[in-house]
Amino acid sequence: MRPGLAIACALTACGGGESTGPVPIRFLHTFSADETELVNQAMQERGLAVDGSLVPFARGQQVIREILNAKEACPDVIRIDATWLPGLRAQLLPAPAELTSLDWTPEAAALAQLGGAWWGAPQAVDGLIVVRDAASPPPASASIDDLVAAARAARSEGRRHPLGLRVDGYWLVPWLRAERADLAARAITGDGATRAVAKFASLFGDVASPPPAAGAETPDELRRWNSHDVAYWITGPWQLGALHDPERVAVSPIAGAPRGGQLLVVPTCAKRPDQGWRLAAELASVAVETRFAQRFSTIPTRQAALAAAPPLSRAASEALRSAEMLPREPVTPLLFDDLNPALAAVVDGHATPEEAIEGVRRGWARLTRGAK
Amino acid sequence: MSTKSGSLRWRVLLVLALAAIVPTIVVGVLAIMRARDDVQKEVRRGALAHIRALGAALDGTLQDSRRTVELAAATWADAPDDARGTQLLIARLRRDVPIVHALSIVDPEGSLRYGDPVPSGADVGSHSFGGYVGDAVRVGGRPVVQLVVQARGRTGELMGVFVATLDLGFVRDLVTAARLGEGARVVVVDGAGVPVATSDGAPIGTSSLAGIDPAVDRALGSSVEGTLSAAGWISAYRNLSGYQSLRGVRWAILHQQPEDEAYALARRTTRDTLIIGGAALALALALGVWFATRLTRPLAALAKRADAIATGHAEAGPPIEGPGEIGVLGQRIDEMAKRIAERHELQTALARGDRLASVGVMSAQVAHEINNPLTTVLGYAKLLQEDKPEGHPDRAALELIASEAERMKGIIGGLLEYARTPRQSDMSIAAAGKLEAPPITEPAQVVRHVGALLEPALKKTQARLATDVQSTKPLAIDAHALQQVLVNLVQNAAQAMTSPGTITIAVAPAPGGIATAITVADEGPGVPAKDRARVFDPFFTTKAAGSGTGLGLAVCKHLIATAGGSIEVGDGPNGKGAEFRLVIPNA
Repeated sequence: MRPGLAIACALTACGGGESTGPVPIRFLHTFSADETELVNQAMQERGLAVDGSLVPFARGQQVIREILNAKEACPDVIRIDATWLPGLRAQLLPAPAELTSLDWTPEAAALAQLGGAWWGAPQAVDGLIVVRDAASPPPASASIDDLVAAARAARSEGRRHPLGLRVDGYWLVPWLRAERADLAARAITGDGATRAVAKFASLFGDVASPPPAAGAETPDELRRWNSHDVAYWITGPWQLGALHDPERVAVSPIAGAPRGGQLLVVPTCAKRPDQGWRLAAELASVAVETRFAQRFSTIPTRQAALAAAPPLSRAASEALRSAEMLPREPVTPLLFDDLNPALAAVVDGHATPEEAIEGVRRGWARLTRGAK
Repeated sequence: MSTKSGSLRWRVLLVLALAAIVPTIVVGVLAIMRARDDVQKEVRRGALAHIRALGAALDGTLQDSRRTVELAAATWADAPDDARGTQLLIARLRRDVPIVHALSIVDPEGSLRYGDPVPSGADVGSHSFGGYVGDAVRVGGRPVVQLVVQARGRTGELMGVFVATLDLGFVRDLVTAARLGEGARVVVVDGAGVPVATSDGAPIGTSSLAGIDPAVDRALGSSVEGTLSAAGWISAYRNLSGYQSLRGVRWAILHQQPEDEAYALARRTTRDTLIIGGAALALALALGVWFATRLTRPLAALAKRADAIATGHAEAGPPIEGPGEIGVLGQRIDEMAKRIAERHELQTALARGDRLASVGVMSAQVAHEINNPLTTVLGYAKLLQEDKPEGHPDRAALELIASEAERMKGIIGGLLEYARTPRQSDMSIAAAGKLEAPPITEPAQVVRHVGALLEPALKKTQARLATDVQSTKPLAIDAHALQQVLVNLVQNAAQAMTSPGTITIAVAPAPGGIATAITVADEGPGVPAKDRARVFDPFFTTKAAGSGTGLGLAVCKHLIATAGGSIEVGDGPNGKGAEFRLVIPNA
């Protein structure tokens, strides 16, 4: 701006205006606040007008289903958790071939495929990993027994509970799988699930730090890690971007860990599916995935983006190679509704593992009936 | 000269402008820009702070309600079959949570067990992680949200679900009670952009503002807060949607105000700054002109004085006054002008002396040639006169011849005296080329000697001699020459005074300190102004014929000029009589 014009603007009321642009792509997503801002910025740079709307993650599957069923204001593209895909598949369009032929990592490709078809563009891979203090030795193996042993060996006067663990059914999965149980309704009836819950609950007050406060899990866990109270922390890649000292961090795999991720899908009711797939391709592009990885240490889904990602992202990706996806059933994400409070009841001492598992069994049976 | 002075004044003004006024204007403009920017930031900050507080109040009310219902649900789950206890619990819950519009308790299968009919569309038992607050919906035209809380027993098993319909009328009450700026409004919209409440109390309707109001689009598309300036409005927005289900209600709050109103303070600040700045600038300019004039006036006088000096008019003018160094400079130039005037006066006198000396040399040669035959004439006239007896007819003629010859000898003697006086330049440089010491004369001594010499003669006149010697600095003049001058002047004065009076010889330092002034003043009739320019010319006399040769003052002037001094005649003290003023260089 010329100086004269600047002065004139200073003395008058130079206001900004906003021009009307192209019709925005309607986008339902589950990004966090910081992720949303990065998405908005990246899409603005690419000249894509996006009308984004946040879907609460915990009720995302239900909210999205309600929106799709209502067929009003149908989104052009949706970011969903991979566990929601079986429940939503009937209302989604198959991914175009030009999208499926990209250089996806094997873990990412597995997320998007169901029943032999591609249903979307993988956007991020996640799951449970062990974030370890680099000063502490890695567990002898990926087994949970060796992990607990390593954590027990790391105990000291100032660090009595070096294992970080969340009271959540998702975190119970490695213990369930170690006892040859799983989230499937039929598997919860066996003794394996009871043993898994018992072993899991027994860690608290022993080698595992007390459960974080409900509703404040993330800040509690970060505080414990940053204050060195925890040396072995079972968590997901979504926490890596918030760590203060990445050089302190090493990553190890955990046997039987669940692996999942996020997908970009286009519903059948989309008014402009081509624009939906275009936004999906942009969000899954190497450039945007690399930016996400550099900013949040997420695990990219494209081979090229993973190669350009920070070391921590690549280490997390490597640790998740051996992880397994949760059963790909519509009911799977609903199972945690009963499993989580039951697990909390056992950890809190309000119920025995047997009592808790019996309640879960009844709840899952009801869900299974409903699913039918 | 006036052009130069004017130019200097404008240059001073230009310097003042460059040094003070221009930076003041620049700083003023920057200050206005900064103030405007600050006001804009403050407007945005204030609006954001306002909607943060309102948003916290809205969210806090909902979350408090949720926690209360959760406690009730947990209590109920311990005894789900206690119908009476359940009714009491419901009544207490309605009392403790006044925004509960309807409350239902359903079993895990979704069937109603207690309370009001289950609202349609409520998701009552799956994948809600214990509960959630749903999106805003309209029931009977009223905006409400569904609060769903799972009631789980001791073992975590689901025993039932509490479904509470929360009336969002409190949102309207909250925003309408907000104290807002001029023209401002607060709007709360749901996840679809449909207004839930507005601060102006207008009917909210069911039409979405999405796609109409860019601020609503921005608010719903963002996960955080921000501001937007568009269509003449400044909007601050905050998306209240939560990531997790417990805070799952999707809505946003906006504070909007016309930019004209929001930035009124900035406009007033700009206007006031311009007025005050303009007045200050005008005052500064006026002061600048006054200061420049005051500063340049003595400089102009100095320049004028310098011009006068350069053109030979070094006589003292009125004193040049000015502040500080300028005043000192004026004093120094005044002093310098006086010294130049004195030196010029001396040089003029010296030049005149040289001229007269040339005339004197020629006159001396002529006088010398005439003197000898004239002596012969006089001798023979006297011899012839002695030979003639008394009463002889030739005797009178011979006496006339003798007396005229005597008078001619007197004239010739004066001429010889005039010519004999050595010039100072001749005295200073010897024939051999060696420098001789200039003559040094104590003026007081000469004055005393003159007094003693003339005392007898003055007693025969009506004049009395007085002396006033205030300077004893030696003078660069031959003592005999000075004595001859003073004797001549005193004798002339005595002859001029026809009534009793005083002749005063005064010796004082001349201005500038390089010469001494000697005045001879009488109380006689004075020298008429018309004669003053000629009294020093040879053979000019106002005396009666035969009583003066007209060479006395010419000799005096010649002697003084020869010494490098000057002699002038003017009125005596108090305008009475005549005063001859000699200025003679100090030795």
